Amino acid sequence: MKDLIRIRDLSVRFYTYEGVVHAIDDLDLDIRQGETLGIVGETGSGKSMTALAILRLVPYPGKIESGSIVFCDRDSGGEVELLKLREDRMRAIRGNKISMVFQEPGAALNPVYTIGDQISEVFLLHRRQELGRRARERVDNLLNDGNGFGAGLKRPFWHWQSRIYDKIAEEPHALEPRLLSHIPLFRRLLWRLKDEASLLTVDMLKDVEIPDAARVAAEYPHELSGGMKQRAVIAMALACSPELLIADEPTTSLDVTIQAQMLELFRRIKADKGASVLFVTHNLGVASEVCDRVAVMYAGRLCEVCTVEELFLHPLHPYTRALLDAVPMPGKELQTIPGALADALNPPPGCRFHPRCPSATPLCQQERPKLKAVAKDHMVACYLF
Amino acid sequence: MELRSYIIRRLLLLIPVLLGVTLFIFGITMMFSPTQRAMLYVRDAKQLADLPAVIERYGLDQPFVVQYGTWLGQVFTGNLGYSKVVSQPVSDAIIQFLPATLELAIFATPLIILLGILLGTTAAAHKDRPLDHGTRVAAILGWSLPTFWLGLMLLMIFYGFLRGFLPPGRLSVQIDLLVNAAPFIRYTHINTIDAILNLDGPVFLDALRHLVLPVVTLSVVNVAFIMRLMRSSMLESLGKGYILTARAKGLAERVVVNKHARRNALIPVITVSGYVFAALANGVVITETIFNFKGIGWWAWQSAINLDISSVLGFALFNAVLFVLVNLVVDVLYTRVDPRVRLGQGVQ
Repeated sequence: MKDLIRIRDLSVRFYTYEGVVHAIDDLDLDIRQGETLGIVGETGSGKSMTALAILRLVPYPGKIESGSIVFCDRDSGGEVELLKLREDRMRAIRGNKISMVFQEPGAALNPVYTIGDQISEVFLLHRRQELGRRARERVDNLLNDGNGFGAGLKRPFWHWQSRIYDKIAEEPHALEPRLLSHIPLFRRLLWRLKDEASLLTVDMLKDVEIPDAARVAAEYPHELSGGMKQRAVIAMALACSPELLIADEPTTSLDVTIQAQMLELFRRIKADKGASVLFVTHNLGVASEVCDRVAVMYAGRLCEVCTVEELFLHPLHPYTRALLDAVPMPGKELQTIPGALADALNPPPGCRFHPRCPSATPLCQQERPKLKAVAKDHMVACYLF
Repeated sequence: MELRSYIIRRLLLLIPVLLGVTLFIFGITMMFSPTQRAMLYVRDAKQLADLPAVIERYGLDQPFVVQYGTWLGQVFTGNLGYSKVVSQPVSDAIIQFLPATLELAIFATPLIILLGILLGTTAAAHKDRPLDHGTRVAAILGWSLPTFWLGLMLLMIFYGFLRGFLPPGRLSVQIDLLVNAAPFIRYTHINTIDAILNLDGPVFLDALRHLVLPVVTLSVVNVAFIMRLMRSSMLESLGKGYILTARAKGLAERVVVNKHARRNALIPVITVSGYVFAALANGVVITETIFNFKGIGWWAWQSAINLDISSVLGFALFNAVLFVLVNLVVDVLYTRVDPRVRLGQGVQ
């Protein structure tokens, strides 16, 4: 399978008053086309930061220090280096080719705009040409069908609309429509774009199995349940059929029954759209449900990358094994990992897991183990292998 | 709840509020003995002999409840008493002095709110960068400049050094004559609005020229206040999850700040903006005095230092009505900005 995202030597640091935090340290990771890759790890292991780094949305005072993230566009076949892209080009990718679903659906939606407004915004931003084409078709239908006195009066206006929407469909950044959309009152003349966007929005909401989509589109976030909100957020992320959907703990804040529905939805989306999904979670059970491959992270570094079957059948890295033992199961005594997560300000030298590792050697304390392939589709960063 | 029934309910609430306010203020004036209160109207040593008769006649030695009841009864018939300092009934005094104050408030409030919101947004969007530091210094300066000093400095520069370019007062002498003469109709006694209604350019420009300095003086302090509030409110809103969502959608930073963050940040600012308007419409003593802009603040101040009890009571009553009305407007505005707020229910 071909790669969609190729991350090499990615380092993200936070420059805080207490010192420099190495949130991600020399990370190498590939996301393949059409696969669901899970990133698992404890809180603070850098899994969410990896997701944000791909979108170049690492929050202040964090900074992407070095490395490269190459995005291989499936549609155009071209390769782009995301970290060197101009900001406006990057914006054209965000929400369009790569989109993201966040952990807390209640916080991810703006409380003062309707669900429909917030989803339409994505279409108005990234699908302007298509909206222009659809609006033009609608005006042309009016021009063909319109009869009578009223239609006669509106005819010149329709001709003008048809022309302007045609321009948008051809070149969304043409001067005339751009001028119009920047002047507050004139912006309303382009209302058909908004209408078309809301039609697409309702379709999108239906797609994520929201009943009564037209009504939900007109509602504000606080009027919906948590599961509905998360569906709306997913609809927003899927609006432009992204090639990569990043889901940052999308089920963590939901009830178990709703969680199951969400996981089902994610599976269906992947099957329907063929998008790759980067699924960030701390829940190994959830990862086993949806992921093809899993990357285990500890203190900003990768420990192990393998298929989900391998992870559960032949876990290699001591941390992965400890993590699996820490999953609560009926009839089994719960094992905790001794010690605490590595201090991000002063990480231990060598392998970051060595202070908590039962099989640490003197070498582990001195040198960092490299990620190496031990079997097909199985890589591990540990001197034991 | 329906808007109309909500407004009616809130207006009914005015009655207990006003009763409370008047009870409190009337109670304070009762701390003066009947003789002291009667003495306020003595101009001549010869009148001293009549004091007991005056006290008897106006019931100044009656129990508190009786005196309060009598006063309240008079207020209900529209008689607020006589304002000694301006030698006319209190109700007339309010009508005479309110337009000047309202004119100041009408011009200053939109300026204060718009500038405050704009500068606060800019400061938050440029947090810890030069623009933020610049506006912070300006805000501290504006906030800490004493009004009387700033007013006098402005007068000295724009009236003194620039030879009467921006004069104090409400109108120039000739224009004042013109305004009070026949063809000019005084609809509202707010000079700028009357000038527009009479389609009189020179009067409008003259009124505007006199407004500049007091409006600037008032704005400097209040813009600083609203700006700092807006900045902190914006920073809170910029840290929320929906901002990250907006950025992940691919929206430009300008849209993220001006659309997604600002609408949420406006909610607390609306409350304070309402109070700023109420405070300005209540009269601003120092500014009105320095610029000889005789409004309600000037009158209230004169009444207070001259122990003009009926004027002070009238002013307090006016004050209370204004605050309750502004509060009502603010509450209705809330529902326009924040869909989570329903009339009469608070945040869901």
